[in-house]
Amino acid sequence: MTTLESMRQAIIGGQAVRTRELTAQALAEGLSPAEVFPGAIVPAMDEVGRRMRACEFFIPQVLIAARAARAAMELLRPLLVDSTVLPAAGKVVCCTVQGDLHDIGKNIVIMMLESAGFGIVDLGTDVAPAQLVEAVRQHHPELVAMSALLTTTMVNMRSAITALEAAGLRGSVKIMVGGALVSQGWADEIGADGYGADAPAAVALARRLVAH
Amino acid sequence: MNGRERILAMLAGDTPDHLPFMPFTMMFAADHAGARYLEYCTDERVHAEAQLQVTRAYDIDHVSVTSDPCCEAADCGAAVKYFPDQPAAIDEARPLLSNRETLRALKPPSPSEAPRMRSRLALIERMKREAGAEKLVEGWVEGPCAEAADLRGLNQLMLDFFDAPEFIGEIFEFTLGMALEFGRAQIAAGADLIGVGDAAASLIGPEFYQQFVWPYEKRLIEGLQAAGGRTRLHICGNTRPLLGAMGRLGSDIVDLDSLAPLDEARAQMGAGQVLLGNLDPVRVLRDGTPASVYAAVAACHRQAGARFIVGAGCEVPRDTPPENLRAMARYAREHSSAAARA
Repeated sequence: MTTLESMRQAIIGGQAVRTRELTAQALAEGLSPAEVFPGAIVPAMDEVGRRMRACEFFIPQVLIAARAARAAMELLRPLLVDSTVLPAAGKVVCCTVQGDLHDIGKNIVIMMLESAGFGIVDLGTDVAPAQLVEAVRQHHPELVAMSALLTTTMVNMRSAITALEAAGLRGSVKIMVGGALVSQGWADEIGADGYGADAPAAVALARRLVAH
Repeated sequence: MNGRERILAMLAGDTPDHLPFMPFTMMFAADHAGARYLEYCTDERVHAEAQLQVTRAYDIDHVSVTSDPCCEAADCGAAVKYFPDQPAAIDEARPLLSNRETLRALKPPSPSEAPRMRSRLALIERMKREAGAEKLVEGWVEGPCAEAADLRGLNQLMLDFFDAPEFIGEIFEFTLGMALEFGRAQIAAGADLIGVGDAAASLIGPEFYQQFVWPYEKRLIEGLQAAGGRTRLHICGNTRPLLGAMGRLGSDIVDLDSLAPLDEARAQMGAGQVLLGNLDPVRVLRDGTPASVYAAVAACHRQAGARFIVGAGCEVPRDTPPENLRAMARYAREHSSAAARA
């Protein structure tokens, strides 16, 4: 088994310490970060997403896998910053909307987006439209990802989009939304660019939106 | 039959005059009564009045104390954020047990002294006094996994299943003990039935559920029943992989969220289990029409068979058209507990 294959298995199995060791080993063997990242982390987390959708993995398994992927990225990130070989997949500003403190869905999406090569600006929970506008102004992301768990807070996705429009920023970003009760119909109704039913779907959507 | 008699007949295995109707109404109830939700959560007089109004207006067979999941955690000292007009929520960024060691020093609050628990007991006494002859009074406790998530932080608890399985046992012992004491106090105050909400359990998959959560849910349900209460188990989210295990808990009612098909539940839980549910609260109940809601309830009834209580998969959304909720009530009124024909 190659080091990259071992890394993939370690990430899928949630072995953070082992993943870190293997990452260092891969670099010592002369592999570049631009080879390690797409060769191990991206396919490992894609497999985690597949298993999640197939109900083979549940939230604890996904979280420990994402933690292992992060352990690898901690070693790779400083090297990737200086690298022009592997451009970031895109930058995403993420948050739960105003009034919503439920963040596990957002956190999992963030970890999977990071593992897919996206740069993340995590605004946290209960984010007011004005805060989101300010973050978009400051960070110039390609994407905004908003999450809401409750019907009462879903409506604040609309307020956030309205605020971005009012600030003249709507045209500069694509907006994706998710959450237990969110649907494609809701995304269409509020003028979002897409809806992800789960974390793997959010990653696929982010890739698609950035590509267009 | 009145609502209380109807539900109790169903739970006793008898044939009520028609199907019972037991949807969760929380924000819908507060809005119906013109109350701000913060007052509904924190003032038992407002809560009782709203429940009485909404259950009488929509022929709902029970009154319920549910308002938000933070009652026990708030009394333990967890950081809870209150909003003017939506449910209170745990502040995930500042969990009470961010350090596992803290659990050892944590004492369960006394239901008769802790402010939110005491308020719930007063609410039950009030509802029992004002409607107990006509409506079944439903108390509520957080299940062992959901309460552990409230205290430890949901994100961290999920990692603990791998990182510190022995801690999972310790924290579930704590949350079970608290739920039993609080549930028994609610039964003593007049609750006919205790709802057990264990939302986080749907996130962990069947193996962890069976290994870690199920034994504690079982002890909780048996303890509440031994104290004279009936039980309604509700696990928010996709419980499809857990249905068989949930059916072995012995809960008087298994109340399913909309992601778990009732026909699968019936097949796995057997003919005797009373099933409740499970319209999609948003896409069907809120966004549908009276005709589509009525048809969706009929589909649930066909799947669930005779031992069935009409309800939504989770809380009735606050902006549900009144005529849609009435369509559910009408289906219940027009159908006996015999299984609907396809």
